[in-house]
Amino acid sequence: MSIFVDETTRVLVQGITGKEGSFWTKHMIEMGTQVIAGVTPGKEGETVEGVPVYHSVARAQRASGEHAADAAMLFVPPRFTKDAVYEALDASIQKIVTIADGIPLHEQIEIRAAARSQGAQVVGGNTSGVISPGKSMLGIFPYWIQRVYKPGRIGIMTRSGSLTNEVTAMIVEQGFGVSTLIGVGGDPVPGTRFAEFLAQFEEDADTDGVVIVGELGGTMEEEVAEAITEGRFTKPLVAFIGGRTAPKGKRMGHAGAIVTGSAGTVLAKAEALTKAGALVADRPSQVGTMLRTRIPETR
Amino acid sequence: MKRLEFQGKELFSSAGIPVPASRLVRVSEPDGTPTDGGTQALHARLLDAVAELTQEAKGPLASLVVKAQLDMGGRGKAGLIQLVRADNGTGQDLASAVVAAAGQILDKGYRIPALLIEEAVDLREELYLSISVDPCAACHVVLASREGGVDIETLAAERPDAIRRLDVDPFRGIQAYQTRGLAYDLGLDKTTARNFASLLTKLYALFTRVDAELVEINPVFVTSGEPELVAGDAKVIIDDNSLYRHTEFPIEREQYDSDAAFEAALEGIPYLQFDGTISLMCAGAGLTTTVFDLVNYEGGSVANYLEFGGPNYNKAQRAMELCLQNKSAVILIVTFGTIARADVMAEGVVNAIRTLKPDRPIVTCIRGTNEEGADRILREAGLEPMYNTEEAVRLAVKLAAGTEARV
Repeated sequence: MSIFVDETTRVLVQGITGKEGSFWTKHMIEMGTQVIAGVTPGKEGETVEGVPVYHSVARAQRASGEHAADAAMLFVPPRFTKDAVYEALDASIQKIVTIADGIPLHEQIEIRAAARSQGAQVVGGNTSGVISPGKSMLGIFPYWIQRVYKPGRIGIMTRSGSLTNEVTAMIVEQGFGVSTLIGVGGDPVPGTRFAEFLAQFEEDADTDGVVIVGELGGTMEEEVAEAITEGRFTKPLVAFIGGRTAPKGKRMGHAGAIVTGSAGTVLAKAEALTKAGALVADRPSQVGTMLRTRIPETR
Repeated sequence: MKRLEFQGKELFSSAGIPVPASRLVRVSEPDGTPTDGGTQALHARLLDAVAELTQEAKGPLASLVVKAQLDMGGRGKAGLIQLVRADNGTGQDLASAVVAAAGQILDKGYRIPALLIEEAVDLREELYLSISVDPCAACHVVLASREGGVDIETLAAERPDAIRRLDVDPFRGIQAYQTRGLAYDLGLDKTTARNFASLLTKLYALFTRVDAELVEINPVFVTSGEPELVAGDAKVIIDDNSLYRHTEFPIEREQYDSDAAFEAALEGIPYLQFDGTISLMCAGAGLTTTVFDLVNYEGGSVANYLEFGGPNYNKAQRAMELCLQNKSAVILIVTFGTIARADVMAEGVVNAIRTLKPDRPIVTCIRGTNEEGADRILREAGLEPMYNTEEAVRLAVKLAAGTEARV
């Protein structure tokens, strides 16, 4: 098992004929992802890696009948992402991943609001996506790097792609592997937040513990602490949070990574998580060993 | 993109929000060059501003406010906002008082591109009003308080009951019943409530029109005159991701604290200026931020934060040029790339070294897709690649401190 995506997930790729879309569709299939249809307006009838292309999501879904897609992967530029998300939502697709970096803030809000109103989950933007190593991926992961993307029993959630490789390598070094890795993204308004995946990780029999890779700014890490305190998540959880020494008022790379006033400091996040019973690492190199103290035996 | 106070007030005016009468006096131009004519010309512009404001005022003008225009909180406490009066005792007139205050403000050592000379408003109360977004609830949020003029975060921490919150559905936009309801919940009387509701409606329209992250009026002056509500200050932050559809907000030198930061912004390279000794040239926001932490943990200090990953991964040369503009002692390169291939980054770094011949040691920790290729390229160029981030940071800190010879 895993969460969000596995080998049974039927995936539709929006923007499949583009440079990124076609390149990553090839890799998604290579890793085992069931890509059943692609969409690029004006290119119906073509194929990409053997996958049929349609003018619209609705047309692709009609053509696929009872085997219609249940997830959509978007390779669509940021300024067209809202439209593409609405198109997928209107075709009743409940799992949507967008990697676009640069979605306007007000559209990020609308995307999240629209998804929530119909009980769907949008992952991203500004992310590498979601990967259940060895099974399926919706995104752009270097799954061929074995010391990072090794199948296993640890769930990972992250706000940053590059840092995820750094931290996950440390987890794998301790003999663990990954059940599902979810990049919620570095935008101020991610479509779905850390705490909103915890229930799925809690239920997943093949996930023994969760690592979150957070950063300064926002309240996503605090929400995780709240979920643990309220008993909604009971498995071991280790957090690494970047930006402990970041000066107030400076935006550290990601638009969401900024401390204003007392809100969003790494110290406050670490305190909340520690109080809830989670372990908080100061350095990436500690994550694997900390996880090992809570999960002595399993992978 | 943060707008300065005068730019925010221009936006308020365009939205029909009353602001005090004012004149802007430039010290330097938007491109960062000093405005022509030196101190004498500056004085002349200040005198003109006072004369124009005096002419414009309906009654006698007893006082003015001189406000430094720069991106900084707590300007009042720092003495960068001064109320000046004509002093009948000493015979100093208002214009001379303004010139004197301007001199004091400019002597404080901040980089101040302009001064706003503003009519002092006779007020009886100060309110707080802002609109931003709530990422969790996915809505727009209006915050308002009767206790304006103070730091809102301090107020929120100490007396949260003094702040009222209104959530606005992003698809419906703000409704009349909501603006009215908030005004009455604040305990405003009928006339002020009506004016407040109108002000909020206009501010909301501005918020959505310019794709703002934040619009804030702190304080809103409540006057005994007409118009009753006047924006005492203006804080407007435009969402960077929306700038492509707002050509009215160009990237200008005066928004940045160094040439390197400005040039990086034009290139789309994330860059922050600090004053330490290690230049960071890393890939990815999260990793760069973590390397920043690790440098500080190890007792080092950062000269600049720079990301050359993602879409910029072939910009190694430009990135290194920017780092070399600093007085740093070491350049520390840490990457763990996904799409940004390690060998391409290594190639870029090696080419940059050949072209730029940097005068300071370079520590590399380049990993990810095709890192074997990267290793070969770096070794052939005489570099000794590292593969553990923390070890690379420790080496950079030692090199910067001069306790380890160059590798």
